[in-house]
Amino acid sequence: MNRPNRKTRITSAVASRFTRPFVKWALLLVALAAGGFLVAASGIVSIKASSGHWPITKWFLRFGMHRSFATHSLGVTRPPLDDPHLVLKGATHYDFGCRSCHGSPGTRAPRIAQGMTPPAPDLRPLIAEWSPEALFTLVKHGVKFTGMPAWPSQQRDDEVWAMVAFLQELPALDAAAYQRLVQASPTENATITALEPSALTPPVASVVNRMCVNCHGHDGLGRGSSAFPKLAGQRREYLLNTLLAYADGSRHSGIMQPVAAGLSEEIARALADHYSRLPASVSQSGDPPPDPRLLELGREIAHEGVPERRIPACIECHGPIGRRTKPAYPLLTKQRTDYLVLQLELFQRGQRGGSAYAHLMEHVAPQLSPEQIRAVALYFESAPRTPRPAEP
Amino acid sequence: MRPPHSRPPRKAYYGDAHPFRGLGQLAAGRRPTPLMYPARAFLFLVWFALAGCSGIQSSLAPAGDGAHRIAGLFWWMTGGALLVWALMIWLTYSAFRGRASRQSPRLARLYIIGGGALFPTVVLAVLLIHGFRMMPPLLASAPEGSLRIAVSGEQWWWRVRYHPPSGPPVELANEIRLPVGEPVEFELGSPDVIHSFWIPSLGGKMDMIPGRRTRLTLRATRTGTFRGQCAEYCGTSHALMAFPVVVMEAADFARWLEGQRQPAANPAEPLLAEGRDLFLMNGCAACHAIRGTPARGRIGPDLTHVGSRLSLGAGILPNDPEAFVRWIAETSRVKPGVLMPHFGMLPAAELDAVAAYLESLQ
Repeated sequence: MNRPNRKTRITSAVASRFTRPFVKWALLLVALAAGGFLVAASGIVSIKASSGHWPITKWFLRFGMHRSFATHSLGVTRPPLDDPHLVLKGATHYDFGCRSCHGSPGTRAPRIAQGMTPPAPDLRPLIAEWSPEALFTLVKHGVKFTGMPAWPSQQRDDEVWAMVAFLQELPALDAAAYQRLVQASPTENATITALEPSALTPPVASVVNRMCVNCHGHDGLGRGSSAFPKLAGQRREYLLNTLLAYADGSRHSGIMQPVAAGLSEEIARALADHYSRLPASVSQSGDPPPDPRLLELGREIAHEGVPERRIPACIECHGPIGRRTKPAYPLLTKQRTDYLVLQLELFQRGQRGGSAYAHLMEHVAPQLSPEQIRAVALYFESAPRTPRPAEP
Repeated sequence: MRPPHSRPPRKAYYGDAHPFRGLGQLAAGRRPTPLMYPARAFLFLVWFALAGCSGIQSSLAPAGDGAHRIAGLFWWMTGGALLVWALMIWLTYSAFRGRASRQSPRLARLYIIGGGALFPTVVLAVLLIHGFRMMPPLLASAPEGSLRIAVSGEQWWWRVRYHPPSGPPVELANEIRLPVGEPVEFELGSPDVIHSFWIPSLGGKMDMIPGRRTRLTLRATRTGTFRGQCAEYCGTSHALMAFPVVVMEAADFARWLEGQRQPAANPAEPLLAEGRDLFLMNGCAACHAIRGTPARGRIGPDLTHVGSRLSLGAGILPNDPEAFVRWIAETSRVKPGVLMPHFGMLPAAELDAVAAYLESLQ
């Protein structure tokens, strides 16, 4: 006879004692999965948005969402959010990108978004329930299985924080205050008369009025706020390259990418042309005059560079240098300090992107210290813009 | 079954051109023997190694005082080492084959004390003393009034500043020219990391250390073109940091340096003028200087006479318009990690114009 010896018998007994329950559970799981699949295959489950959720489902999903964002915002640190420019930047984008679902002070809840399950909520009573960090995580990443999308660019935390800064203010806003934030007021419109109204074809004028003026102002000077770059008098080719770079995602911004992606190249060309022709007159910022020592440091960096740190002179590409610089390179004079600082910081982190020329800055920006960045940006905002030769 | 040595003879693979045809016969006649392949490998290695004894970058084909001394030391040491090696082989052989009756404790003591302690002490002491005696002439500075050349090793190129005994200094890059027969003092430094300056055909190597000035005097003994190379690992493109060295007759050298001192000529042809305008407009002048134009950048190599150099990109590309276009458009592919951004986004016609202009800077 070929019977197993004693040792083998003991081993198999021990093994079966441990494996038999597992086999039982595994079979049960397989049966459950197969049952679930059959239910889905039969199609008897309704996923109609019109049917809504049961109250208990609603409670459970909200509970799960709060917990998830609380946990996933653990590593997030909040920058200061009380800057009015940050609020303004968030507000204008809210009006462009969020209002159509979440509504705005003084209007009824948007009817279409009410048909979603879950319906896009009026945010004002809800903001208090969320910490700014959790709100940041929610706005940046969106919410799965709801209509809430992720921020269009995952590179631009600064923009997400601007939105959070605005959301902190939102509960306190009435309709008039909201409109003051999100619309360029006609009084900011001082220099627009310089431009003949017939210069824009109706489709372009419509795009300008719907998409551009509320941030960049009717005069292209950015509504007198550091939140927005000045476009008036900028090089046409640079403006066009920038719009195209936003449109194809090679320059990163959750605010500008959705705007630019919706433009035809013809319209983009017309917009670039329009803003390059607007007079680059100086709208004074109300800031106190900058520290003369910083200004001098900035002048030195702009004109001489910092050779020992391999930083070339800015003016060689950006002017003013008394000879024609490349139309694909932006002019920096009279540009907002805060905007220039932000761009250099984005270059340092490799998060700016841009046109096919943007990589020219990738070795330069990381060499600059924070003080040098501020100094050189201050210098350019205050530097005289020498008359530049006419474009061909 | 096939007989064990039925392979066709090697000649069938290589024909008469078989490089080691003679070696097989030397080792064994018709049939391969166990020694034949090691012998071939050894002779191949010798042939390979001998290739290092000449050429533009060999310390065994000296063309300078320092290199002559170093080569002399090398050959004496190699000769001595061969003698010691032969002696050791003989001792090993005789230890195994010698008769036991010839061996005695006295002989063993002689071998151990004499061969193990005295002999190496004497040999090493002689070498050490000889080496020390060689150092003063190798490190001697050039007499007052000699040509002085300041070379700065930068990742990954060479900034070269000529200080002739009379006249203002001239800054050039990535090439060194010397008058034959005259001592030249090199002043070496670096703004970033440690590099090492080495022209094997002319002399020894010397480190270039940030924050310090090191000195090296070289005197070339014959005219010719040689090659220098960074000899201390200095980053990604360390191996791509070389430079041509030209030793010229003194009169030719003086004429050449005078030519390099001149500002760049104003381009006459429209294509070249367009190239110059593009050079300025694209911002190249932020890092590069071309004397005689508004370009005054100090971060990268001076390009005033770049078209006259023997190579591009610090000894790694030939100096012709195609190589110029390649360098400008694919900079970091040609030299990984380089600070210069590529300008591959420019239209081909613009690249050609810039390349033609730079090539015209003779």
